Amino acid sequence: MMADRHGKGAISTRRYLAWCAIVSGAVAMFVLTAPAFAQEENVYRQFVGLDSRRLVWFLAQMHLFFGAFVLGVPLFAVIIEVIGWKKKDPKFDKLAYEFTSLLSVAYATTAALGGLLAFALFTLYPTFMGYMAGIFKDVMFMYALLFFGETFALYLYYYGWKLLSSDKPFAPNLQRLFKALGLIVGAFGVAFAFGLIGGEMRVDTRWFILLLYIAPTAVGLLIIKDLKSSHIFIGILLNVFGTAIMQLANSWAGFMMSPVGVDGEGNFVGTVWEAFENILATPIAVHRMLGNMAFGGLVAGSYAAVKFLSAKTMEEKAHYDWMGYISNLVAIAALIPLPFAGYYLGREVYSTSAIMGNNMMGGDFSWTFIIQAMLVGSLFVISNYYLWSGMTRIPGAERYYKFIKYILLALILSFAIWLTPHNLPLSGQEVGEMGGSQFHPMLKYLGLMPAKNAVVNLIILATFFSFLLYRRGNMLEVVSIRDQGRGARITILVVGLAAIALVLQYAVTMLTMDPGSLDLPADRAQYIRMIGYLLVFEAAVGVVAIVLALMDRGKLGQVLYLAVTAFNVAVFLGVWGFVVMEKASPVLRNVAVAQFIQLISCLILVSVIDVFLFKRAKSLGEFQWGRMSNRSQYALLLLTFIITMNMGLMGFIRSGLRGDWHIFGVMRDTSEWAYTPSNFVMTQQVGAAVLLFMIGCAFMFWLGGVASKKEE
Amino acid sequence: MNVVVTRVFPFLLVVLGVYLWIGYSVTQLIGGGKRTSAAVDISPEGGEAIYWGKGRCFTCHSVGGQGSAVRGPNHGQFGEKFPLPMGARAVERAKERAEKEGTKFTAVDYIVESLASPGAYVVKGYKNEMAVVYAPPISLSLKEIKAVTAYMMSLGGDLDMEAIDTAPSEVTQKFYSKIKAAAAAGGGDPGEGAVVFEDNCLDCHTLNGEGGEVGPDLSGISAKGLKFISESILRPAKSLTKGFETYVVIDKEGRQTIGLKTRDEAGEIDITKANGDVVTILKENIKQIKTDETKSVMPDDLAEAMTVKDYQDILSFLMLQKPKPKAEQ
Repeated sequence: MMADRHGKGAISTRRYLAWCAIVSGAVAMFVLTAPAFAQEENVYRQFVGLDSRRLVWFLAQMHLFFGAFVLGVPLFAVIIEVIGWKKKDPKFDKLAYEFTSLLSVAYATTAALGGLLAFALFTLYPTFMGYMAGIFKDVMFMYALLFFGETFALYLYYYGWKLLSSDKPFAPNLQRLFKALGLIVGAFGVAFAFGLIGGEMRVDTRWFILLLYIAPTAVGLLIIKDLKSSHIFIGILLNVFGTAIMQLANSWAGFMMSPVGVDGEGNFVGTVWEAFENILATPIAVHRMLGNMAFGGLVAGSYAAVKFLSAKTMEEKAHYDWMGYISNLVAIAALIPLPFAGYYLGREVYSTSAIMGNNMMGGDFSWTFIIQAMLVGSLFVISNYYLWSGMTRIPGAERYYKFIKYILLALILSFAIWLTPHNLPLSGQEVGEMGGSQFHPMLKYLGLMPAKNAVVNLIILATFFSFLLYRRGNMLEVVSIRDQGRGARITILVVGLAAIALVLQYAVTMLTMDPGSLDLPADRAQYIRMIGYLLVFEAAVGVVAIVLALMDRGKLGQVLYLAVTAFNVAVFLGVWGFVVMEKASPVLRNVAVAQFIQLISCLILVSVIDVFLFKRAKSLGEFQWGRMSNRSQYALLLLTFIITMNMGLMGFIRSGLRGDWHIFGVMRDTSEWAYTPSNFVMTQQVGAAVLLFMIGCAFMFWLGGVASKKEE
Repeated sequence: MNVVVTRVFPFLLVVLGVYLWIGYSVTQLIGGGKRTSAAVDISPEGGEAIYWGKGRCFTCHSVGGQGSAVRGPNHGQFGEKFPLPMGARAVERAKERAEKEGTKFTAVDYIVESLASPGAYVVKGYKNEMAVVYAPPISLSLKEIKAVTAYMMSLGGDLDMEAIDTAPSEVTQKFYSKIKAAAAAGGGDPGEGAVVFEDNCLDCHTLNGEGGEVGPDLSGISAKGLKFISESILRPAKSLTKGFETYVVIDKEGRQTIGLKTRDEAGEIDITKANGDVVTILKENIKQIKTDETKSVMPDDLAEAMTVKDYQDILSFLMLQKPKPKAEQ
């Protein structure tokens, strides 16, 4: 079954059996461990005298790096394959295959590290793991079974690429069968969405399952008509299995932070399902999934960068330049919603425990968050730099160079504000110089959430603007939208109205919300209503932008909507956030949601206008792929290093938030390692993991290169 | 591969070097690892260890130039806003408190009140948002709270260990009792528990004359003990109160109604179901009526639906529902 036509079957089977043994061993440990309870005295062990916590931390970090790559890459490999399939362009298909080829070794390494991590946890932390296994044993079985599913799907997807490439249609009856199955799954999804099935489920869990498992499976079945589309369906299944595995494992991490169903003595009296869908499980899963996609994109981008730097021919350079560009694009697409997913996760952390929340932004981890802000800000600035560098390969793009300095200014200012802490440790003299206050008279405002929310939105809008300039680099005369037929106009109208509906539904919520629901007196309603009026204004401008686009004034429509959105989210709501903070602080989260919704609406509406604005536009020349500076490739590499370091840092924060609890509020960590390490220890630990991961990546890429040479 | 070895890895090492330098610089600026430690003695030193460790006080407070948190008042002498350190400040605050309440208040009373009931007298300009330190996840014991009080008093005040530990005033003793009761119930927060109770229980249960009558009156429930209360929440069918048995009524058409018998008159009975719906059944239509000791009208999945914190909060709240003296009744 595992053999492929290149004769690599024996190696693959051995690798497959090896990790199966590891996973099975780990599962056996889960099952054989007797459930222990929180009130029992914790047992801790050591391996050759090493610090058990740091050992587990390192192994978990390595497992997560490789796992994130293995889960992230198939997400966009399948999308690229679909683009190639739809466009009938083998270039995209080849690229998707090349991305997938990077997975093979990484997958086995992930499984091996996962097994090692499980062994370390069970042997070094037996009481804690016994307790967790007692609660999650069913989920752990499911986890192992899904691993089998993911393995079959991955190997079938990769090794079956050429075998399943024919576009010869299946017999009509077979096609109908797949369509019928797709419709059944789709109908199940509709019933599931409306709560007719699984009515007791949390809303976030329901939508996660619906959007990431049921909907893609239904669509995958509906498109099957030949071997190639069957191959795409296998790719979809690969993602479904991978995401499900991640969600199951996240439920354990979530439970450790927000346990449910445990009585006062630490005995678990809830159901497995309740433990599984604990408060933080889905927010962590959403954040991690987007992070994985950005991470997978950038690691693949670093592969392209290295290949570009060592390319000997222009043809090779062109290919890897293009691959790097797509990788960066994937990463940006995932990075844009990531701050909002982080905000959602942070909000839920606060909801779970104000102590944990305070510790995150204002306690042990406040400075770690400043380092994180530096890293995330760098990601956006360097991504923009890469896009601007890419404009040098576009004939005619020099027309837009003049905008770059303004975008850079906006990015730097936003970055600086994002970095500004609310307060700093000061000497008595410094406090005296500031009038006896611990806060700087002006800078203190920049350290608060309203300022940070405003600039995050501005950074995203600036990045989007860079992308728009990049897209239109070589385009000259546009074809009238009115001349593009009814399809173009209907698409702009439908997508545009959907974006506006998104804004309006929240406007209605804001205009009808009872202040009492936020524990506010009735006279504070004005602070909520103002947000509603602003959203109505945003929606009205959106309608004007659509009308302008349909009247062939699309550029004006785009500028208008972009400018109004930038003003609303960064200026108006930025200032309003401070007012709200003073007078009605619970409304601050609604301000953030309003900013996010307007931003998303703007991205959708402006993008759809852009697509048709430049459809069939006269070109000033083809993209000159390969004509990129080496500097830009180092920018790609730097992006990969930074996102990897940031992932390690965020893992430190998420895990460290529990303080000296294995399971927050239920099982205390009584080991000698129960303390929060310093930021220097964190950078040492994460730095070592990053270095080893990068060495592993270099080895994987080298192996991938050897395999592809053999294939050629 | 050459490119990787000669150019990419040196580049990576430089980037990692910068990362390490940032981590090192930040640690130099704010200090090293935060070790949680439990107090062993009721002493200022023990309290200091709790303050900067297990108690997580440093998350919101600073002591003079030590620490950088500003969410809560600074406990040291700091700028114009805090001219006195906490021990000396407590004397002033206690005087204000005594004038306002018309009762005697010592500096120790003030500090103990701030720890046991932080919302009682909030410092102007700060929110009432302090965590309950004797509830999870902080879960300070009474001994540890006494140690923190000693530490606070040692910051520029007169340290009177008798007033803190062996011979507390009436006011302090009242707060110590509260902490003990809450700690016995798993360290929940009774204030939060009152909110959880109002949201989830008051529709069916009466408390001090308010609430529904579907379930037993819970005024004075603490007399029944922690185990009984805990069991009643987690496994309600195991500890049914007399008069609140679950009835199963089957009518002549075979329909089954399960609930509490809330009315029984000559020709008909009312059965109140778990969801609060009241079903009136004519006695002539009843085929069979019996009590079911294995079922309770009270939802049996509360423990699953509640967070650990909710459960502990509600337990601590119910443990404070002491029976009233007969004269008062």
